[in-house]
Amino acid sequence: MDHKDNQSPQGETARILVEFLEVAITSIVFLKGVYPSGAFERRRYMNLVVQRARHPQLRDYIHSAVFGLLPFIQKGMVERAAVIFFNTDGIPVERFVFKLAVNLSYGSKVEEADLEFTLRSFLIKLSVSESLTKVLPCDYRWEITAYFRSLPEASANKDVKQWIPTDARQWEQPPLLTPIKSMSSKPLCVQLYIEHPSLSEPKPQNGEV
Amino acid sequence: MSMESTRSDKSAKRSFNNNRNSASSNSNSNPSNKKKKTSQKTLGVAWGSNSRSSSRSSFSNSPFSNFGSYMVEKNRKLQNQFEAEASTSSHGGSGSVKPIFDGVSIFVDGFTVPSSQELRGYMLKHGGRFENYFSRRRVTHIICSNLPDSKIKNLRSFSRGLPVVKPAWILESVAVNKLLSWVPFQLDQLANNQPKLSSFFTLKRSSVSNSASTHAPCQVNPEAEDSSLKVGTSGDTYFSEVSEPFEHRKQISRESDDLVNENSNASLVEETAGSSGKPCEVAMGIPSNIDAEDESSVKNDLQSSHYQPTALVSSNCINNQNMKGSPSSMVSEPSNQSHSTLGDPNFVENYFKNSRLHFIGTWRNRYRKRFHSLSNGFNCTSSNIKASPLKTAIMHVDMDCFFVSVVIRNHPELLDKPVAVCHSDNTKGTAEISSANYPARDYGIKAGMFVRNAKALCPHLVIFPYNFEAYEEVADQFYNVLHKHGNKVQAVSCDEAFLDVTDSEGDPQLLASKIRKEIFETTRCTASVGIAGNMLMARLATRTAKPDGQCYIPPERVDDYLSQLPIKALPGIGHVLEEKLKKQNVWTCGQLRMISKDSLQKDFGLKTGEMLWNYSRGVDNRLVGLIQESKSVGAEVNWGVRFKDLKDAQNFLSNLCKEVSLRLQGCGVEGRTFTLKIKKRRKDAEEPIKYMGHGDCENLSHSTTVPVATDDVEVLQRITKQLFGSFHLDVKEIRGVGLQVSRLESTENSKQGLERNSLKSWLASASARTEELCKNSHVAKESSNRGCEGEGDETLGQLCGNSVGLSIQMDSNTSNGAACLNEVSVLPPLCHLDMGVLKSLPPELFSELNEIYGGKLVDLIAKNKGKTENINHTLSAYSHEKIEGAMKEGQAARLSSMVFQNEIPVENKAEQHIAKEVLAVSGAESFVPASGLKKTDLIPSSLSQVDTSVLQQLPEELKVDILEHLPAHRMQVFSPNVLLDPTEIPLEALGTKTAENNSGSKDFVLDNNLWVGIPPQWVDKFKVSNCLILNILAEMYYKSGSTGNLSPILQRISSVSLHQLDAFQDGWDEAMYILCELLKQYIKLKIELDIEEIYVCFRLLRRFAMKSELFIQVYNIVSPYLQALVGENYGGNLHMSLKD
Repeated sequence: MDHKDNQSPQGETARILVEFLEVAITSIVFLKGVYPSGAFERRRYMNLVVQRARHPQLRDYIHSAVFGLLPFIQKGMVERAAVIFFNTDGIPVERFVFKLAVNLSYGSKVEEADLEFTLRSFLIKLSVSESLTKVLPCDYRWEITAYFRSLPEASANKDVKQWIPTDARQWEQPPLLTPIKSMSSKPLCVQLYIEHPSLSEPKPQNGEV
Repeated sequence: MSMESTRSDKSAKRSFNNNRNSASSNSNSNPSNKKKKTSQKTLGVAWGSNSRSSSRSSFSNSPFSNFGSYMVEKNRKLQNQFEAEASTSSHGGSGSVKPIFDGVSIFVDGFTVPSSQELRGYMLKHGGRFENYFSRRRVTHIICSNLPDSKIKNLRSFSRGLPVVKPAWILESVAVNKLLSWVPFQLDQLANNQPKLSSFFTLKRSSVSNSASTHAPCQVNPEAEDSSLKVGTSGDTYFSEVSEPFEHRKQISRESDDLVNENSNASLVEETAGSSGKPCEVAMGIPSNIDAEDESSVKNDLQSSHYQPTALVSSNCINNQNMKGSPSSMVSEPSNQSHSTLGDPNFVENYFKNSRLHFIGTWRNRYRKRFHSLSNGFNCTSSNIKASPLKTAIMHVDMDCFFVSVVIRNHPELLDKPVAVCHSDNTKGTAEISSANYPARDYGIKAGMFVRNAKALCPHLVIFPYNFEAYEEVADQFYNVLHKHGNKVQAVSCDEAFLDVTDSEGDPQLLASKIRKEIFETTRCTASVGIAGNMLMARLATRTAKPDGQCYIPPERVDDYLSQLPIKALPGIGHVLEEKLKKQNVWTCGQLRMISKDSLQKDFGLKTGEMLWNYSRGVDNRLVGLIQESKSVGAEVNWGVRFKDLKDAQNFLSNLCKEVSLRLQGCGVEGRTFTLKIKKRRKDAEEPIKYMGHGDCENLSHSTTVPVATDDVEVLQRITKQLFGSFHLDVKEIRGVGLQVSRLESTENSKQGLERNSLKSWLASASARTEELCKNSHVAKESSNRGCEGEGDETLGQLCGNSVGLSIQMDSNTSNGAACLNEVSVLPPLCHLDMGVLKSLPPELFSELNEIYGGKLVDLIAKNKGKTENINHTLSAYSHEKIEGAMKEGQAARLSSMVFQNEIPVENKAEQHIAKEVLAVSGAESFVPASGLKKTDLIPSSLSQVDTSVLQQLPEELKVDILEHLPAHRMQVFSPNVLLDPTEIPLEALGTKTAENNSGSKDFVLDNNLWVGIPPQWVDKFKVSNCLILNILAEMYYKSGSTGNLSPILQRISSVSLHQLDAFQDGWDEAMYILCELLKQYIKLKIELDIEEIYVCFRLLRRFAMKSELFIQVYNIVSPYLQALVGENYGGNLHMSLKD
């Protein structure tokens, strides 16, 4: 890929972040055991052993979704990116949320090595976080959702068209958060936490469809 | 995109496993490849199997007969593949040049930064090899960042004797485009005995490091090398420069004038870098590492300190005798205290008073004072010497066991008895012998030996304490004799000197015996003399001459003399170098000569190699009197350092700073880089064998560089305090402290310029100057018209009048200075300018100022000097035209026309920034008198009137100083501004006082912010609290590494028994309140960016709450607050249930 057009610090940050997200999301999907482990292969990223989807469709979905965010992340429009697991009723069971904050006023050169060093800790922590997650019901789906600070104008950019407004259902009660990892550096702050429905949340089977 | 990059790596890897066909088609040189069919094996399984495979060299059939043969084939293919890739990737490289890593084959073990794949890329590109599997035969270097303990323990079996190197070796080699020695890049865990995990594994580790050193004997500890080098250079720089004219020379000129008259022969005194000090000096008689090059004590102090040592020494002896009475009390507390930093508030001062090395160092000052003369004459002659180097005759004069002979010259009965000098004569003591006479040396007694060992060797050894007074006396006599006989004397030490006697008539040997005789007659001590054609040979000749003899080595005998000389005898060859050479089977200079210069330079570096080559041939091009500038000035105390608490340590540091500052001033230099070295007791170290010694220590050092050189005590103290803080040490563990100042600049240069380091010295000097001016026109003459002769007294009177007028004006109008600061575009009136300051401005600045004043400055000065020509002379280089203009214009504009030109427009707008800069100076200038007045308690200057924008533009140092001079209550006016400015960090970093004040005011403004500052404010507050839990928190802050995060602190606390925390009643509410406040502020601080940290903290708190009543309450109070904030920021609640 050509990186020449992303020479601004934010472009650089966004590029690194997006790559990281691609790997991290794949790791989450692997972690949750959505697909048989044979669907993944071991790869090295940031000098860590990570998983990568072998199925081209799965790979493309994650890749295109995340890279579709690139221009928006660069502009600081994306507030959160979430991997949402939901049951057949479309009610979320578990959400992995990446809260992003790209420093738009950061002016100096981004040291890729420094960023990678901190981002790596996410992947390490993720790989041992299975106990924090919930066992998913037998029949469920997942999707990648991005939360924008403001809705981009559809006409302005054709990248936007790839993104459709989600109709994923929300929880009625504020969820319970379990932080996994946080990092903050000058150019970029990322936090990863898991959201679970609050205990007082009406059970999925009770809720109307 | 990283997936992309990894993909290429991966695809490479993948082909190793799967795509046999493609791989073999690449390497078509091997037709046999095509036979093989692959069986899928994972990389992981293959690990460690190579040893089995090595014996099998070939195999026959495609289904591998066993795993070993598979690995052989795999390795071979990997190599082929690597070679293929290497041949393609090196196309782009420089064709003819030999690649960097030629012959290097690395094996990467474990996690490295950069990754093994990147390292592989480097090896590909630069002609090295990369082995995927370890093999003793193919691999030359093992690369890894960290080793597990088990591998370190069995280093031999792991590395098979191969060097284990950090990846930085490869990176830096690539960066400088040549193969660097791997030794400095050796893995930390192996390289020094202080591995990072030492705190956990100290006991095991020491055995490990032993094994490391035995297993890899060729791996020289780089630190050891360093220190030996240091010894070398410290010898070199032992005696720093004199030839430069000093400012203070003026002050002592009267004394020296007399002396010069007396010793009319002594047209010049030269001191040198020459050869390193005497061996016994390097060996350290006194338990200290005081850098001997240091100068200390300014003139005034010197005088007084001369008289004190004896008294102190004797009191020392008394102490020792007391201890003799009760030897068992030797390690007990009270006696410890009398000698350590614990009991003696003036420890630093006394320490240096009792230090022999300090004596040697400071002796130079005295010497310079006594035998000081101009250097010009010498420079001329030295060029003569250069012209005719063949006939030179150099004499090296060295007193025989100086420190002993001087002491026993009044005890003739001891002449043949073994005698040693030591600061303590406690038979069982661990004081080190500093010098021993020849009879004593016959018993095997050497300098540096503990007294008790020496006594064991020679029970009737007589031990004397130092007698610094006598040393001084003898040294003076010694040099008197030398100066009588030659005008080119280079002092090496108080008892050792080089003489260039080329110009003296008569046989140098006769001269030598004459000198020796005179020395004996005047001092009753013997000296030995070596004579030869250069300094090196003269010095070596002295070796032969000793004791009490002389030796001449004529040029034709140099070769003979050297051929059998052990290399150790050459100056500059220390233990390390000697060991290295011996490894190459070089024992004598003759053998050393066999090695070519090139290979010497390759092995030992350019300079050392050349030195070895030259010295082994008796070549030494140094000239007597050649001066080397000293590179650093400092002081170090390694003995008797024991601190009870932080206050002790701070007090000690500030005294050390005083000492260093004095030494800097003594040398006439200022430094920019400050290095604080700490010796910290190793975890498992026992009380050192040497009484109050430092024992087994880790050496830590931190350094910082400031933009402007300084020798100011307060600046030093501030910097040092800050450096000390960055160590985060338990002060009880400290066994030695040293402060070193480097990047030296001569005071001469900096004193004149803008970069005058501290405003305070401005103030001091300026106000002093004004006072002087007011008092005495003669003084004025000296200080302001230095170097100018023949001014009319009337002008001086006028000048004097001016100054008086100036100060009076200042008296009556306090805010004058401030006003000047306010008006950026208005120049201070001509008459307000301080003559002295003007003159000490650097020429560039002066000419700029002059331009702004329309050339009137020059005129002004010309008036004062009364001789325009003089100025023409000094300034012509910079502003020839201007002065000419000024001279024309000047006659008209009389000094009497002191009509104040309040608004002189800035002539050129393009130069406005320069003007501003200048104004900053002139602002500071006009500020000077104001503050000077404040100092004399006339009127306090009110700086709140100063325009902060001007303040912002002042150089950092000035700002700090200005702020420091503000009354504290006024600080608040400034600090917000100061804090807002992002460039202010250095200010805070510099200022301890300022920082405190800043945070103090912030505290006030920002509603009690406990988390501001480093360390956060709460730490100090809690420390002084009378509540146990708060004290513990503060203590844990330091123990946890002072990261500024709460979770490590809480984690530490969880190891404390929490039940006892509740065992207090007083201040319960207060403690609870402040804890809640602390937590709330912390949440507020972290909520947005680091919810993880908060989460960890609260899970810990929750755990505490199960055991502690206090924490239950705290938790219950803060929890809702936390959840509210989390909800606000994240739209949810933290999941706090305790599963564990």
